[in-house]
Amino acid sequence: MWFDIKLAWRNIFRNKRRTFIAGTAIGVGLAAMIFTDALMIGMKDNMIRSATKSFLGEGQIHREGFRLTQEVEKTINNLDGIISRLEKEEVVERFSLRAVTFGMITSPSNVSSIMFYGVQPSSERHLSQIDDVMKEGDYFKGEQEREMIIGSDLAEILEVGIGDRTVITVSQAETGDLVQEMFRVSGIYQFKVKEMDTGMAFVRLPKAQDMLGIGSDVHEIAIKFEDIHFATKEDNPFWSRYSIDGNEAVSWATLLPQLKAILGIFWISLLVMGIILFGIVAFGIVNNLFMSLYERMFEFGVIRAIGTRPSGVRRLILLEAGALSILSIILGIILGFLITLIFVNTGIDYRGIEIAGTSIHELLYPVIHIQQYIIYPIAVFAFTLLIGLYPAIVASKMSISGALRKSL
Amino acid sequence: MENSGKEIIVTENVKKYYKEEDIVVKAVRGIDLTIESGEFAAVVGPSGSGKTTFLNVISGLDTPTEGKIWLSGKMLSEMSGKELSDLRRDRIGFIFQAYNLIPVLTVEENIEYVMLLQGVPKEKRHEKVVQILEEIGMKGMEKRFPPKISGGQQQRVAIARAMVSQPELILADEPTANLDQATGGELLDMMRGLNRKTGMTFLFSTHDRMVMERADRVITLKDGKIDKDDRKA
Repeated sequence: MWFDIKLAWRNIFRNKRRTFIAGTAIGVGLAAMIFTDALMIGMKDNMIRSATKSFLGEGQIHREGFRLTQEVEKTINNLDGIISRLEKEEVVERFSLRAVTFGMITSPSNVSSIMFYGVQPSSERHLSQIDDVMKEGDYFKGEQEREMIIGSDLAEILEVGIGDRTVITVSQAETGDLVQEMFRVSGIYQFKVKEMDTGMAFVRLPKAQDMLGIGSDVHEIAIKFEDIHFATKEDNPFWSRYSIDGNEAVSWATLLPQLKAILGIFWISLLVMGIILFGIVAFGIVNNLFMSLYERMFEFGVIRAIGTRPSGVRRLILLEAGALSILSIILGIILGFLITLIFVNTGIDYRGIEIAGTSIHELLYPVIHIQQYIIYPIAVFAFTLLIGLYPAIVASKMSISGALRKSL
Repeated sequence: MENSGKEIIVTENVKKYYKEEDIVVKAVRGIDLTIESGEFAAVVGPSGSGKTTFLNVISGLDTPTEGKIWLSGKMLSEMSGKELSDLRRDRIGFIFQAYNLIPVLTVEENIEYVMLLQGVPKEKRHEKVVQILEEIGMKGMEKRFPPKISGGQQQRVAIARAMVSQPELILADEPTANLDQATGGELLDMMRGLNRKTGMTFLFSTHDRMVMERADRVITLKDGKIDKDDRKA
């Protein structure tokens, strides 16, 4: 076997240029797979972060049915118990309480329907990104209870600016009575996401609770976890632990099914790309091995004539395929690592692009995983051997006398 | 060493037809021949007379269209592909025209190739390689690669490869075709000497007069049939 390996290794260097070209093609294919995988993971993380960090949170707790009806009465049950348990959860980095209802906002010029949020500025600052995308004014800087933050598109519709007055109309819990309160616009944000920039208004939580008549209750607890991937699994026991007492805890994947679907398509595109790249690799290997085979027909005739069995010829061709594959894998790993490393340091600027209702706010950084350097090289090696079977079988079945005639 | 009288090759009405661009070529048209152990014989004839085809058929490199062939008492048509490979490995040594060595293997590796196939241990292989290189006058050239030695030296290595495992039969297809007269003559003398020393049977396919002059028996083929079978006294 060792002799065959030595022979195969020397054979692939007989035509250095051809081996270099074939090896580079396979190596570039592998590097592309490694980089694409790193990019996909980076993009997935980026999109989840963009979707969850902007305002949603990585998970939320509501009263059962609230997400569907948004009824003001459906506040979270046993709020104090949940808060005290969340504070003890090691996986939870922070959480924030919110009051949420449909409402109407009116300015001297116009009127618009909105989602009216009562938030805790101190905790919300670390959980959502509204404070990071302030276009004008401040994010709840003072202590004024009538401060209100709205989106840039809504400000345009209402024709209001910083310091201008608006009136919010909501209906109260239990009675359904309409309540109106005047607020001053203290800040205007711009997410570049239409739904957020036109359809939301934020006030301090106590004021919203007062208007809605829900006492100290809330409709929503937004949660941020220590590890972003923790919330990705919908079957995580965390959700069932908090889906008790008539409440429900759900991950961002449930709250944003369209984003989850898009991420699913990512892996399909990676698979399609993999199939295309592996197809190119396959043609490269088959072409290389057949060229090498036809060039050495007489030689194969000689080794068959002197007693090499067909299985010996097959083994030799497969070893040559394996040797070519190892060279290509080394090249591909180095190339893939260097390309990925460059973009890990510089990032790729997709900021401002909106995908599945999620606007990307951060530079996209590919993520290097050790699996990329194990799974894909093994796949390339196994695939090379599989593809190499074809020329190996052809070589082992050729007529010896025919092969010996080739260069006579 | 003289002929032992043991039959190495026996052929009975061997025919070989093949198609070439829809035309049936009758390369061998019924040959009955017996080659005995220790013979130094040559199959001669003009190009297209069927010399190489006959050698291919009797060595199991090709199958006859008709007829029977016995090699060392074994009928080839009754053997599987694997058995034929093993038969060639253990009982036949092949010498082709020049440039039939594996260029990426050293002289030593080329010679030990057949022994590797036979599973001979490394020490034994090395010992035999050194011994045979001395016999063919190439001692000290073990680590050279074929492209770095002359055509005559390459053919010496091919002879060494064919003989190193001490097969019963050496088949040499135009072994002097690409060599100059002096080198060719020198190699033929060497093979003649080895034939006498070891008793191995040599069967040449050639139209080289030097081979005919040295052979004990000259079988002349014409249109795929034996035209003459001359034995030297």
